[in-house]
Amino acid sequence: MHAKPSSDAAVIDDVEVTTLLEDGERAVAGDALAPPRTLRWRKWKRDLVWAGLIGLVVWSIDRLDIPLDRLPGILGRMGETLMTRYFPPDIARITQRDYLGSVFETLEMAYLATVVGIVLAIPLAWFASANMSPSKRILYPLSRLAIMACRSVHEMIWTILAVSILGFGMLPGVLALTLFCVGFAGKLFAEAIEAIDQGPVDAMRATGANPLQTFVYAVLPQVRVAWTGTSIYTWDVVFRAATVVGFFGAGGMGWYLRESMQRIASQEVAAIILSIIIVVLIAELFSSWLRGRIARAIA
Amino acid sequence: MTAATLEPSSALDRRIDAIARERRTTRRSRLASLAVALALVLGTVYAIVIKDTDWARLTWQSVATSLARFAEFDTSALPGLVDPAIDTALMATLASFLGLFLALPVAWLGARNITPLGRASYVFGRGLMTLSRSVHEIVWALIFVSAVGLGVLAGILAMAVRSVGFISKVIAEAIEDVQPGPIEAIRAVGGTKFQILWYGIVPQVLPVVLGTVIFEWDINIRRSTIMGLVGAGGLGLVLFREMARSNYGGIATVLAAVLALIIVGEFVSHYARKAII
Repeated sequence: MHAKPSSDAAVIDDVEVTTLLEDGERAVAGDALAPPRTLRWRKWKRDLVWAGLIGLVVWSIDRLDIPLDRLPGILGRMGETLMTRYFPPDIARITQRDYLGSVFETLEMAYLATVVGIVLAIPLAWFASANMSPSKRILYPLSRLAIMACRSVHEMIWTILAVSILGFGMLPGVLALTLFCVGFAGKLFAEAIEAIDQGPVDAMRATGANPLQTFVYAVLPQVRVAWTGTSIYTWDVVFRAATVVGFFGAGGMGWYLRESMQRIASQEVAAIILSIIIVVLIAELFSSWLRGRIARAIA
Repeated sequence: MTAATLEPSSALDRRIDAIARERRTTRRSRLASLAVALALVLGTVYAIVIKDTDWARLTWQSVATSLARFAEFDTSALPGLVDPAIDTALMATLASFLGLFLALPVAWLGARNITPLGRASYVFGRGLMTLSRSVHEIVWALIFVSAVGLGVLAGILAMAVRSVGFISKVIAEAIEDVQPGPIEAIRAVGGTKFQILWYGIVPQVLPVVLGTVIFEWDINIRRSTIMGLVGAGGLGLVLFREMARSNYGGIATVLAAVLALIIVGEFVSHYARKAII
């Protein structure tokens, strides 16, 4: 039945080979000992998937009309633009009082949005957890949808919407970042609840505790550590977003970025982008340090 | 009482005292951090809600009227959104693929067990990952506009570069966790470094890599809505056009289309990931 014998190991009659092997060895050999027809089919299927993906890429490039001719030498051109227009960064601009104030504003927005967002995310995550939700029919789907809607809209779109409703300033920034935070932390919080040990919950329920008591005494102690870590990480992510919400009219460093860009003050733009990268890196280091410290303190 | 019975009880007392003291300090430090957190909340509320906000112009009526403008849903625009929605999905696809290709060398540098030049290249690889994640996609987009001009290309490059950090981090961690067996087997029969990489490591990490790229694809759909800022096409461009025209009903319609696309994308990525794993 088989094609003429060749050096290919797969062409050896699989029945004979597999009967010679122990269970464990067969599991290890796995794929290589599958019947040749299956192997050929698998290879063909894999080639088909690759061809499909390459076709998709080619078709997308054509459909989106992407100017590929601009790609060669992109690094050189970027380097040249950076050197001639953006270099040297205008460090004096970012040490001015108003700009340093905006860094402080960014911190304030991120802090308030994270606190409010987490306070909102806690009940939502409780309602949206598959195992602990107090009302499976109504609250569970509604809170799931709320968290998903918060997540699916990009934080900058939230900013644009908030600015169009509340006007320029820090308040719309806080509103947008809060919604972002609810979506981000809510999902992670709910996942933490879904991973808890059911034992304490059953024990609480057996004593006749209501859902709130069960949540406070059986769920909260179990997720406290995970939630603390998630909250700090959320602050870090929210701060990263807060540095740019100003670009669309909310407060903070992004506002100055936009303002310098509109004046085509490229060296100021370079300095501001540089300062954004630096503060975000500092925030990230701080958050991972804090998370490590808290994990060690609790363990 | 004799001294022999007195001493153990005083030792016990000391221990009880120590525990009580520790509890007091824990409670005190917990109260103190709570007080600090609360004071910071009050401070930021004062700075943002009271000092920075112009309540004379911002009233309940003004908020209600601006909210109402979004409610004028512009359903006539819906058929015209199908093409941009496809464009958006394709942009996210291209950006995810490009992100994967850029992420491979970074993961190679940043995986502790296969990094080529020891500690130096490891730190460099990890630094690239952090840089990619730390810079917001808006900033990346603005940087790429200076190199390739406004348009789709700048948006795709920005999303791709922003994706690199996460994809390469996951790949590097998967590479650090590979089973050493196959690698030792290839080395034992005299395989080259490239053969070890291609036949020993790639098959082991491929499912993780594909799962991550699909996850990132989902996120890139969200990101592409914001790339309209740099003139990248798709729903993002339509959105920015509607905003420039202050057509609030149109904005709401486009956002609904984005939400629908993301729900579809979540289904696709859910099933695609299931098919792989």
